Amino acid sequence: MREGRWWRIGWRNLGRNRRRSIVTASALAIGYFSVVLMVGLLKGLVAEMVDNGTGIVTGQVQVHADDYLPDKEVYATIGGRDGADVAALVATLEADPDVAAATPRVYGGGLVSTGTATGAALFLGVDPEREPRVSRLMQSLVRGRQPVAGAYEVLIGSELARTLEAEPGDEIVVVAPAIDGSLGNDLFVVAGVFHTGLVDLDRAFALFPLDVLQSLIALPPSRVHEIAARVPDPWLAAEAAARLAAELERGSLPVAAESWMTLRPEMVEYANLSEAMEWVLMVIVFAMAIFGVANTMLMATFERRYEFALLRALGTTPGAVVRSVLYEAVALGAIALAAGAAITLPVLVWWYHAPPSVAWLFGETTLSGALMRPVLRVEYPWLMGVAAAAALFGTAVLAALYPAVRAARVAPADTLSGR
Amino acid sequence: MSEQPAVRTSDVWKVFEHDGIAVEAVRGVTLEILPGEFVVMAGPSGSGKTTLLNLLGGLTQPTRGKVWIDGADLTTLSERALARLRLERVGFVFQAYNLLPVLTARENAEFSLLLQGMAEDERHRMVGELFERIGIAGLEDRRPAKLSGGQQQRVAVARAVVGAPALVLADEPTANLDSATSLALLDVMANLNRELGTTFVFATHDPQLMERAQRLIRLVDGAVALDERRSAPASP
Ligand SMILES: Nc1ncnc2c1ncn2[C@@H]1O[C@H](COP(=O)(O)OP(=O)(O)OP(=O)(O)O)[C@@H](O)[C@H]1O
Ligand SMILES: [Mg+2]
Repeated sequence: MREGRWWRIGWRNLGRNRRRSIVTASALAIGYFSVVLMVGLLKGLVAEMVDNGTGIVTGQVQVHADDYLPDKEVYATIGGRDGADVAALVATLEADPDVAAATPRVYGGGLVSTGTATGAALFLGVDPEREPRVSRLMQSLVRGRQPVAGAYEVLIGSELARTLEAEPGDEIVVVAPAIDGSLGNDLFVVAGVFHTGLVDLDRAFALFPLDVLQSLIALPPSRVHEIAARVPDPWLAAEAAARLAAELERGSLPVAAESWMTLRPEMVEYANLSEAMEWVLMVIVFAMAIFGVANTMLMATFERRYEFALLRALGTTPGAVVRSVLYEAVALGAIALAAGAAITLPVLVWWYHAPPSVAWLFGETTLSGALMRPVLRVEYPWLMGVAAAAALFGTAVLAALYPAVRAARVAPADTLSGR
Repeated sequence: MSEQPAVRTSDVWKVFEHDGIAVEAVRGVTLEILPGEFVVMAGPSGSGKTTLLNLLGGLTQPTRGKVWIDGADLTTLSERALARLRLERVGFVFQAYNLLPVLTARENAEFSLLLQGMAEDERHRMVGELFERIGIAGLEDRRPAKLSGGQQQRVAVARAVVGAPALVLADEPTANLDSATSLALLDVMANLNRELGTTFVFATHDPQLMERAQRLIRLVDGAVALDERRSAPASP
């Protein structure tokens, strides 16, 4: 291998000023570590947002009648006036390889009233068996117990409970305009109180067993507004939705299947912004590193100008001189990457499994309408880890390019005579 | 004898621009050096010895005039072609900065052979024999920092002559050496000249070296003031 000698020279040159090489490699390694960790944190933030934004109530895919959105008219049920085979629909969704579970839902709205207070609320009818497999809404119960299918029981949000001064076991009156134009009203028992942390949900939502809400607003069991589905990897939801849309189209029902990416575009926007930030971060960190490395390489090559002059005088081509310097940079990059990976991987793994709490800094908050727990979680940034490794090598080589070209340009005669 | 000269110049000039003042380092030198000659260039400091050597070896281009090595006109060659010609036809011994500090004595000595793509066995054999002959056998694996000045100069001479180039150019090769060491080094080169027929051109202030010359060229102010061939052999 003819290039071997230039590799050898580059490698040995790296060992000459060991302290300088170590400092430079450390700078690159720390650059790598900070980029990968910060990208991991950015990805953690997005993952937290998407997990909660889709997991608490939305689900990752929803199926509606094609005229349901955006107005959410109460009569716009799947299959229209005739309704649909809800169990078959749920089964169709669950047959998709990326869908873990699906559940039907009915929406309504009206007034809830205790003896002393009255408030407006949004009504959500859920299948108490299926709903927990799709969303975490029912798991957000803080007091009382879950409602039972067929029973006149309701779960209310914690804020709503506060304004109504209602607690589990209390009776409330629910009044809702029904689909046939009449006004449904009935007496319900508050089975429990939920708290999600999302003010809109906690202040305005009341959860009913699906069949009970259907009868309250005069919908037959075959008429539901929504089938929500859980896709465990949220980033596969768009494809799953497209597949389901195609599948359902064949069943000749006028329905639309949409993923959270369509339903919650603000979260997608944030995710895109965050991804752009990752690259900005990478560019900033490695652009700074370039100047540091270039400076050291420039010093190192200037100190060695007599050697380059000698190489040239002895008949080495300028290209070979350039390569010997670039190989030195590649060797430096390899050392830096090994060191960078050696510190980054364990820290990432540890961080992933024990995300530190920042509750001392802030409590629960929301991002793009999604709930965020006060923890700094990381996601493994595999792709960016590789991209950052490439950037590290690119930095080392790019930083060495100018010094290398200068080294190849030394005038052998003048330099060797000390001019 | 109609032998092709090892190196030839025709009215060669080198003018340096120095702070806006033109310095004529070499002024109209015409020379023919035949294969196997042992030539010493002498002259006061600043007389243009180093500059002329650099011109002869294709390390720098003349301002005017022409230089030929083995009949090849150096002034028409590209950077790459010049590098190739230096590699294959010329051996250099410089006054200082002769060796690459990261390479061992052997690696330094075989550098040109390596660039020429010679196989490792062959290289080691040739360098080994030469080291033996010039008295530095056993030092093959030392780096230059672990060698004395005389040993370093010998490694440099070994590198210059090992590929049997048409021409060896040596700029004050004995300048930093004590008289015993420089005599030993001179013997080495005189022997190589005699046994292998290698052409040597030296630039020097060293009277010991001048005494050994077969041909003495005296430079004054960049021009040849004296060019005499002596019948005396190069060896004592
Ligand atoms: N690269 C250069 N730039 C400007 N002037 C130069 C350059 N090289 C040589 N000179 C000038 O050319 C003249 C000849 O220099 P040269 O080095 O050839 O002399 P020399 O005979 O080798 O001297 P010494 O015996 O001191 O080594 C000097 O005046 C020197 O200052
Ligand atoms: Mg000189």
